[in-house]
Formats: sequence, structure tokens, C-alpha cells
Amino acid sequence: MSDLKENLKAQIIEQLNLEDLTPADIQDDAPLFGDQGLGLDSIDALEFIVLLDSNYGIKITDPSQGKEIFQSVNTLADFISKNQ
Amino acid sequence: MKVLAHSYVCPKGVKLNGEPVFDTQAEENPLKSAYQQLGVEYPKFYKMDVLSKMAFIGTELLLPFFPAGTDLENDLSLIFANTSSSQHTDNLFVDSYEKLNNPSPSLFVYTLPNIVTGELCIRHKWYGENCFFIEEQFNPKNYAAWAQSGFSKGNALCLCGWVEAKTNGEQECFLFLLSPSDKTEHTIEIELSTLIKQYRNE
Amino acid sequence: MNKSVYIHYLSLVTPLGNTVEQHLEAFKTGTSGIRMTEHAGFQGTRLPLAKRTEITANRYDNLLREALENVHITLTGKTAVIVSSTKGNLDLLPGDTFSSTHAIINQFFPEAPVVIISNACISGVIAINTAADYLLSDTYDQVLVIGIDAVSEFVSYGFQSLFALSGEACKPFDKNRNGTTLGEGCGIVLVSNQKLHDHAVVYKGGSSSNDANHISGPSRTGEGLVRSIEKTFKRSGLNASDIDFISAHGTATVFNDEMESIAFGRTQLNEVPLNSMKGYFGHTLGAAGILETIMSIVSMEENLLFPNIGFSETGTSVPLNIIQKLESKELKTVLKTASGFGGGNASLILQKEG
Repeated sequence: MSDLKENLKAQIIEQLNLEDLTPADIQDDAPLFGDQGLGLDSIDALEFIVLLDSNYGIKITDPSQGKEIFQSVNTLADFISKNQ
Repeated sequence: MKVLAHSYVCPKGVKLNGEPVFDTQAEENPLKSAYQQLGVEYPKFYKMDVLSKMAFIGTELLLPFFPAGTDLENDLSLIFANTSSSQHTDNLFVDSYEKLNNPSPSLFVYTLPNIVTGELCIRHKWYGENCFFIEEQFNPKNYAAWAQSGFSKGNALCLCGWVEAKTNGEQECFLFLLSPSDKTEHTIEIELSTLIKQYRNE
Repeated sequence: MNKSVYIHYLSLVTPLGNTVEQHLEAFKTGTSGIRMTEHAGFQGTRLPLAKRTEITANRYDNLLREALENVHITLTGKTAVIVSSTKGNLDLLPGDTFSSTHAIINQFFPEAPVVIISNACISGVIAINTAADYLLSDTYDQVLVIGIDAVSEFVSYGFQSLFALSGEACKPFDKNRNGTTLGEGCGIVLVSNQKLHDHAVVYKGGSSSNDANHISGPSRTGEGLVRSIEKTFKRSGLNASDIDFISAHGTATVFNDEMESIAFGRTQLNEVPLNSMKGYFGHTLGAAGILETIMSIVSMEENLLFPNIGFSETGTSVPLNIIQKLESKELKTVLKTASGFGGGNASLILQKEG
């Protein structure tokens, strides 16, 4: 699980062009969206859908599902391990 | 009409009013290096396409030359142009669905040239008029005419840009700030032609 | 404005036909150009599209040629051509997508300088505003304004990646709207300092404004649209009580239509009869502003309010006066608006003379 989370952080940084960050800057339970966390926006949420498909083979067809799944690295990892 | 200031961004380096500001010739990623040397905190920069990155850097350098007392929020117009539209990102987006088999939403949103002016408006809270033109080449006469129409409708200042990023690697961003004055449009045309020639040849 | 600027419709080519008469008939009967299309989307998915089936290849160039062939007018005086298009001819990628445009137009108008505007979905409205500027500054006596975009895999896949497409024909301003439908078309208007036909309307003023908020999402407060409408009122010396009809943008995405309703509420326009024409044409991007201006002039000529196809129940936080059935009304003054990617918003006002 911790490997998955570390991989995810690196993939998030690459996929979303967060070049000012390193994986160590992303806390497992920190919010990814909104002003408190990484400040990601609606396009980033759609890019997460691409990330899940291309890296984990998981397809999300309804973007509103993303709200729960993309809360933090923890919720993302949890979703991936249950759906892979 | 007069030219208040101008800047030029290309892979070789960044210039302001004809003088070198950053030399990025030896850098692997010239635009990233220029952004880091600017010392501005704006992480969204990394998400931008090449056109927006160049215009971002060029505009940051021009900010000290915006006349005090101008209502930038409302009375600044943005007039930008190029030949190849959003070609560089267009081809990356095609690759995302043809080669990677996943059309990328974050690339798609940059497949419009006017996203450049949108990014500048977001960064600086400018709500004024914008227009992006596609031209066969840099045409100073057209810029002068468009800016003049804006001034006659009440705009006080015009930020103009020629910003190009082709798939073959050609990249340049020439920005110039125009304000109304008694200089004729023709004088401005000659000045702009000379400036872009100098920047390109240096 | 001391000088008069007149707008005439010249030509329009869409799935609904290639004459004004065909379009008038379709609008009177509430006929949509949208059809379910097999293998149109990414990985062969079906998509509703408003596609001109008569064209089988080289869609952009052929649309442009067909619309230009239908222009039957002799022009005298200084003439320019402005083209409004978001993507040009995408078949030309990886090269310059706008490189065929000049050559095609010059076959029809060899002497006229060609200016291209590519400013997302507000291109058409800005193109008319720019044409009016050319006339007011005496740069030209008349300007042909061409709005065009073709259906393409590129744009379809892109809108799919944004989850911005509806699974069925789009429903602008409706409670159950869930995305737009893409379309294609080419429309041509003549902006002239002379009145050349009875149907011509006077251009009273126009403007644009940026949301300064997000590159793809519409402002939650309608800020840019409000500012553009207010600026257009100021420039034209008119106000909300003068407006008889609004040709809105209405893409039928949840956020866009909500934003427009807030903006029309803030500008006291929420009770003015309004439609989006996306239910007829789909969203034709760079052509939208021109096609919708043409049909607004037809509306004024016929004194008819055309229904907003796809609407049945109010679905915006500010209720709007959406036109639900064909209705006669004396139309003197009309507001056209557009909003698009890059945070752009634009508007213009048309008025019958006298």
C-alpha cells in the first residue's frame, strides 16, 4: 500500500505538471482539491480519470464519482486497491 | 499612439526593452529557467502550454511600465496574434488520443490560441477586451489599427503580443505596450518592424 | 456612433440547408439539425452531432466554399474579409490549420485582405464588433464576416475528455441538460456603411470582457458576461428595458447555462424573451456567433420569436423567459451574447432602423 501511495504521488506530479513539488510535499491524507490542499481544479480532476485508466486500467465513466475518490492520496490508493 | 515598453522571449533568452534579462541558451528547459529566475510564485505556470508560458514571462517583465493611474481592471485591452494558432499543443493533444489512447483534458483546454490572453487575465485580474488574430506574418499595421480602434472606444492601454510556438521548435514571444499619444500610426508601424527585426537577429 | 453600420445576412450552410428560406422553415417548425451519429466519438462511441451529411471529405474547406458560392453580391469600395473560426482546417495538422483559408477566400474575393479571428466560442461576436470598428475608423467601407467550424474527431474527443457532451441532443437551459452537442456550419454576413437590403439591421454597439477566473470553467458569478453587456449598453446608449429579444449562448452544459442565468439576472434581462439556438445547430464554435446573428436578423425581419428546442422545465437558479413556442412579436432591438473557453464573453446589439 505504501508503495502504491509513493507511486501515485510521483504520477500525480507528472500527470498534472506540478513541477514545483516533490512526492515528499504531498501528505497521504491532505486534501488534493480546494485552497487548503494542493489547490487542484476541475481539469485536474478529469486528468485523474486519465491517470487511473492509463496507469491502472480503471475506467470512470461518471466524473461525479471522482469527488469521493480524489479527496486525498489515501482515498485514491484505497479505491485503486479495491478496483484493480 | 506610442510604445511604452517591449519584451522578447525565445529559447535563447529573455530581453526587456532591447536589453538582455535572462540568458537561457545553455538551459535544457529555457522557459522553466526563465520563470525561476523571475522569482515569481505562481505554480500554475508549470501547467501552462508554451504560448502561455512565454507570454506570462514577457508580461511579468512589462508590469513596471504600466502607467500608474490606469484602470487596468477595465481599460486595458489585449491584442494577440500568430500564424500557427495553438499548433504545438494541438499536435500533443492528437498524440494523446492516437498514441497514448487517452485524450488528455488538460492538453485539450490549451488547443485554443486565446487561452494565452485568458491566462494573463486570470493572473492579473484584467477584465477588459481581448482578441486573438491569426496572421500570415507579424503585421505592425494591423496592430496599430486594432489598438487605435480600442482607444477610440475608451480603452486606455493596449498590451499587444506576437506569440508563436510551432511543432518544429520555432518559438518566440514579442510583447509591446501601447498607449494613446500624438505619434501617428505610421510611426508606430516603423518602430515595431524595426524592433522585431532587431530581436530576431540578435 | 455618428455613422451607421448595417448588418446583412448573405449566406449560411448548416445541416438544416444552405438557404435562409430553409432555415426559416426549420426554425418555424422547431426542426433540429442534430442526429445520432455512429462511430463519431472516441473509440467508436455514438454521439449526437449536427453534421452536414452532403459533405463527405475535407469538411472545413468544402463548407467554406459552399457558403462563399452562395454569396451573390457585387461589392464596390474598400472591402475586407474577417473569418471567425476556432480551429480552421484540422486536416492540415501537424501544419498550420489556417493556411487554406486565405487561398479559398481569395478565389472569390481576389483583392480583399483577409483577417482571421480565433478567440474560442466568442469569435463570431468579436468578428462582427471588429468589422464595425473597421467601418467606424473608415478603414473599409464594408466587411464580409465569415463564421466557420467543421465537425472533427479532434474537437469531439476533446469535449468528450471534458465530459462536456450530452448523450442526446442538447437541452439548453433545461433542468435536465447535461452537456452540449457539437455542430458545424458556415455563415456569412455583410457589415456595411450602406443599407443594401430591406432586411438590414443597424449595429448599435458591442464589446467583450474576460472573466479573469478560469481558462475552461465559466465564472460562477457571470462577471465577464455582466461586464460585457453593461459595456455594450453604454456604447450603444441603450439599456435592459430596450431589449426585445436575447439570442443567448446557451451551450447546455450545467455550468455555462447557470452562469448565463445569473448574468442576465444581474443585468435585469431575466424577463426578456430568450433562446439558445444550440438545439437547432448544435454548438458550432467559431460559426455560432455568426449563424445565431443571422437567425436573429431573420427573427427581426419576420417579427417571430423562435422556440428554444430542448427546453421544457426551468433549470437555472435565476429563472429566464425561455421561448417555448413560435410567437409573433414586434422585434426592434436584439441583444446577442456569447461566452467561451479562455474566460471570454462578448455581446452586441442590433436594431431596426427608424
